[in-house]
Amino acid sequence: MNQSAKRISLPHILSMLALITGALIVIVPLLWTFFTSLKSPAEVFKDNFFPTVWHWTNYRDAVQAVPFFKFLGNTVMILIPVLIGTVLSSAICAYGFARFNFKGKRTLFLVLLATMMLPSQVTMIPMFIMFKEIGWVDTFLPLIIPAFFGGGAFNIFLIRQFMRGIPRDLDESAFVDGANRFQIFTRIVLPLSVAPLIAVSIFTFMGVWNDFQGPLIYLNSSDKYTLALGLSMFKGLYNVEWNMLMAATILIMLPALIVFFLAQKYFIEGISISSAIKG
Amino acid sequence: MRKSKSDWAGYLYIMPWLLGLLLFTIGPMLFSLLLAFSKWDIITGVQSIEWVGLDNFKAIFHDELFYQSLKVTFIFALISVPLYQIVSLLIAVLLNMRSRGMNVFRLIYFMPSVIPAVAVSMMWVMIFNPEYGILNKALGWFGIQGPAWLQDPSYALGALIVMGIWGVGNTIIIYLSGLQSVPEDMHEAAELDGAGRIRRFFSITLPMISPTVFFNLIMGIIGGFQYFTQAFVMTNGGPLNSTLFYNLYLYNKAFQDYEMGYASALSWILFVIILVFTLIVIRSSSMWVYYQGDDDKD
Repeated sequence: MNQSAKRISLPHILSMLALITGALIVIVPLLWTFFTSLKSPAEVFKDNFFPTVWHWTNYRDAVQAVPFFKFLGNTVMILIPVLIGTVLSSAICAYGFARFNFKGKRTLFLVLLATMMLPSQVTMIPMFIMFKEIGWVDTFLPLIIPAFFGGGAFNIFLIRQFMRGIPRDLDESAFVDGANRFQIFTRIVLPLSVAPLIAVSIFTFMGVWNDFQGPLIYLNSSDKYTLALGLSMFKGLYNVEWNMLMAATILIMLPALIVFFLAQKYFIEGISISSAIKG
Repeated sequence: MRKSKSDWAGYLYIMPWLLGLLLFTIGPMLFSLLLAFSKWDIITGVQSIEWVGLDNFKAIFHDELFYQSLKVTFIFALISVPLYQIVSLLIAVLLNMRSRGMNVFRLIYFMPSVIPAVAVSMMWVMIFNPEYGILNKALGWFGIQGPAWLQDPSYALGALIVMGIWGVGNTIIIYLSGLQSVPEDMHEAAELDGAGRIRRFFSITLPMISPTVFFNLIMGIIGGFQYFTQAFVMTNGGPLNSTLFYNLYLYNKAFQDYEMGYASALSWILFVIILVFTLIVIRSSSMWVYYQGDDDKD
């Protein structure tokens, strides 16, 4: 494992072979989906891996067969307020936990950690009933509003851990210069916490983009569907047209993959931090 | 700066979370507890909730589908949790080698875990297709006649477990960061003492990353009981309920049959099961989890 990089030994070669095999197992299904999405309907069921003619029009047909842009618009309409709500409220709450000493803070923080372990199924049904009673079912509100109330325990935890690492001397000197606690938050702590805020934004984007059970429960009419939900309905409609189904699958993967490649550093850091919770 | 004993302003800052805790966690939990002992279909108003005591739980313990969903979920968790841990750890160990191109491999292995579960599910429905899917075609090259996977009750659950291996990127990253926190001098010292690669792995690496194993184990167990999207999209519990995961059954009861009381009772049973398993893992952890210098207390 930790031997010097230059040495080429048999275990090293075997390890590299194993890594390459694994990487192929990861990549080949994606490539197969991509290449099949470009085949003609007749060619889909043939054995060749690559399409003989690249039918880029499959993508145009796919976005016309389902109201793709409508679904995309719905997803964005949910995504933007959720992003704003999550980042704002989790940063404020994290600041509260990181920089104030109040009675019961330890207990409340333990409660915060405990809620991360609570299965969402327990609250799913009563929340649905609650939102139904106030007439929010089949609107985006049940998927948006909760984000403004703390923005998720994990996000608060992530930002709080980071804020604790910012030297308190900075707060002190700003305080001496006449800044109040809120100004210290907006002018000192927040600008220094950009890294975890980006991580939280990315996780939130992924969460909304991938969310399936939420939209499934709350959105009834098909003109309100998100992409993830709409795509699963596509499967029911076009059982045979594999090339279009695959084109739609690739289209919903793309934004997530692009965000991932642009922001890989934050992903990997954020996930590493998530494992640092020791109860 | 003032160093007061209790800074009331703190409550103001955590107020959004506190309100959310009451509105979206504690309140719903209490309501759900009430519902678990009630009979109610959502079509009639809240006023028609009828207290039935333990009837829901009695009915559940005579419900064949309940036992089926428990069986499916337990089989999945018992096989997939250890399997994914071992695979992830192996890959993480390989990725931890110091060699060129490791960043590329890391990206590749991590990629599947950012792809929406719906897209992954749809892709695998096509991969598992017995006639045209790439999996059976590939098996065919080796002269193996692949099964009907998702259409075959004895293979469907296995197919979902196999598919899951493809998406263990998250776990790999967590293991990798655990491995990177193992001090290198420990390895060098052991190497000088003549410990081989495998010996070093079991005597140094594994004990050092046991907290990570512990974390992943808990998350894996919880994940198994919350498995939903893939089962819903790919098999919808079939064929012959062979992939009727607990969470899917709960969803069906609540949002297909509108039996809110019954489904709430199911959700509390789920909660208790997860709690018991988590506690077992935590309680037993002192026997096998090694924390290096436990000095990061708040």
